[in-house]
Amino acid sequence: MQSNGKILIVDDESSIRRAVHNTLQGMGFHVDEASSGEAALRLVLEAPYDVVLLDINMPGMGGIPACRGMRRSLPRLGILMLTVRDSEEDKVAALDAGADDYITKPFTIRELAARIRAAVRRSSASHVDPDAPIRVGEIDLDPARRLVRKAGEPVHLTPKEFDLLHYLMAHAGLPIMHARLLRAVWGPEYGGELEYLRTFVRQLRKKLEDDPAEPRYLLTDSHVGYRFAEASPEPVAERA
Amino acid sequence: MRGCLAGVAAVGLVTLVAFRLHLNVSASGSLYLLTVVMVSVVWGFWEASVTSLIAVNCLNYFFVPPVLTFRISDPQDWVALAAFEITALAVSRLSTRVQAQARAEARQRAQVEKLYELGRRILFLDRRRTIGPQIVSLIQDIFGTESVALFDATLARLDATGSRAEDLEQLARRAYFQDSTLEGADSHTWAQVLRLGSRPAGALALRSPDMDRLAIVPIASLAAIALERARSFEKETRSEAARQTEQLRTTVLDALAHAFKTPLTAIRTASSGLLEAGRLTADDAELAALIDEQAEHLNRLATKLLQMARIDAAEVRLRRARIAVLTLIEDVLARYREQLHGRPVSVSGSAASLEVYGDREMLAAALEQFIDNAFKYSTAGSPISVEAGENLGEVVIAVHNEGPPIPPADRERIFERFYRTEESRHRASGTGLGLSVAKKAAEAHGGRTWVVSDEQAGTTFFLALPHGKRRQLDAVERQDPDR
Repeated sequence: MQSNGKILIVDDESSIRRAVHNTLQGMGFHVDEASSGEAALRLVLEAPYDVVLLDINMPGMGGIPACRGMRRSLPRLGILMLTVRDSEEDKVAALDAGADDYITKPFTIRELAARIRAAVRRSSASHVDPDAPIRVGEIDLDPARRLVRKAGEPVHLTPKEFDLLHYLMAHAGLPIMHARLLRAVWGPEYGGELEYLRTFVRQLRKKLEDDPAEPRYLLTDSHVGYRFAEASPEPVAERA
Repeated sequence: MRGCLAGVAAVGLVTLVAFRLHLNVSASGSLYLLTVVMVSVVWGFWEASVTSLIAVNCLNYFFVPPVLTFRISDPQDWVALAAFEITALAVSRLSTRVQAQARAEARQRAQVEKLYELGRRILFLDRRRTIGPQIVSLIQDIFGTESVALFDATLARLDATGSRAEDLEQLARRAYFQDSTLEGADSHTWAQVLRLGSRPAGALALRSPDMDRLAIVPIASLAAIALERARSFEKETRSEAARQTEQLRTTVLDALAHAFKTPLTAIRTASSGLLEAGRLTADDAELAALIDEQAEHLNRLATKLLQMARIDAAEVRLRRARIAVLTLIEDVLARYREQLHGRPVSVSGSAASLEVYGDREMLAAALEQFIDNAFKYSTAGSPISVEAGENLGEVVIAVHNEGPPIPPADRERIFERFYRTEESRHRASGTGLGLSVAKKAAEAHGGRTWVVSDEQAGTTFFLALPHGKRRQLDAVERQDPDR
């Protein structure tokens, strides 16, 4: 069977390791297990992994320090944190520690697989030409010509709107924290201007979404930031 | 009366001795004067006056010629007798006054010593026991009063000791409510209001036959200080205990959340994995879907219970930050969208800058509950609208849906824990916890929740929160410029 990627699941609960291991294996991933942050740090240095699923709450070295340790030595590794509480602080702490994404327990395997795919793409695609066109669903973005089309029709964006969209689409499928987005698009002296960002996102939604109240592309990640929809393998237009 | 008899006896003795010794008028007069002064020193002015009258008559009868008669031949003797009487009266008056002063001073000194002792012993009261009974028995003990009563207004508590204390209790109560000093029916009963700063905190009443009327004022001050000390100690202990309880509760809740979510995660991963793999027969897939659904239902139930418990705990401490109301609404909708199954939701607000100063997680839980409710109990496919605005210093968020009205009798009770209307039992699955979470969350912020519902207009749930004060918001801004 061909492998979709190599995954390390790190959780102190064996029932979760077993369930994730078996289901992901069934979906064509190669899966290894670790029961502690320390063991996981050793494993990722020994063998190359595409994505690590890392529980936040573990005895001994918790998920956050383990994540920081992995990120220091392996900047390209995909790291997905598993959180229990649907809590803002855990998510922000995870992203601050260098995680690519997080997922709240309990999750469905469909969600998990989608997040893993986005993380795999990021870790394998970061050497791609920054001017390469990006396509998510019906949205096409051409960085070299600063052009955006929706279903083939050109969309007129202001320069800042374009930069914002470009940054989000370049990280499609991953959550981008408010402060990071502000700094990346407006400059390092920004970070706290949440309302400002909100206004721009609203404008972008008006121009890109079929129904700005029900965004399909430019999604809100509660309390944390924004996330551009993942470039799904199947066509997005299933809803219409 | 005893003083008078003693005076008469002394005068008799002096007369006998002086008569036997044949003393002249002036010598015996001096002896009489001495007797009168001594009577005045020992017994007082009134006894001395009686003694002096008897003495002047004896002087006249036995020593003023012609002796053994009351007649007076020489008019100079009239002058001498009158002078004797006036001197006797004046001297005894003076000596009794000096005497009384000395006694008053001694009493005052004793009073001050007792007050000092009261002050000292108040410091050593047992702070773990109720303070009232200790204060009254301490006053009774030190001042030897007949009875003492103390009214503690904060605890609405009356403590009394000694005889006939019931009318003292009444008097103390009246002194507190009239905010003044009162005198009882007999002249040795008083009540004095206790003040802490300018605020009346209770009253002290006491009955004591031999206590100065003014003494009650410093005693009352000391009692007030004792009450205040007890109160602040209690407050300190209570907030420390509350802090520890909250810490414990948070720890237990986190452990509980972990314990619940772990098996649920394994179940959902397995059930959704089975479905995703697509190797099941139609019947098997149906069963796997049932497991998946019910695991998710169990998860929501656990989340809600934990939320509830956390909100109970959070009455002690909210994690407040400035929150943009429209962003909050958008966040909640984004999180909840999946469960809305494409139901149209419109959001409108009077001002984009509308802000509250509150606990984000808790307010989000409240809002999510309103939206969940609007979705579940509305006509299928009908739109839901969320509106945020400002009204009379409050930020009001209204969630409106179309559908059957909530019966008037239920409109209060739906906010109670575990209460579900007859209607709701049939219509939708729920826990009966949600709206009580919303109410608790609002109340923890000093806000409130209510519902307006009728056939035509539909149902609207309201959440009102105190307006984020400009100053508070600015203070937060300065502390945390990176939010």
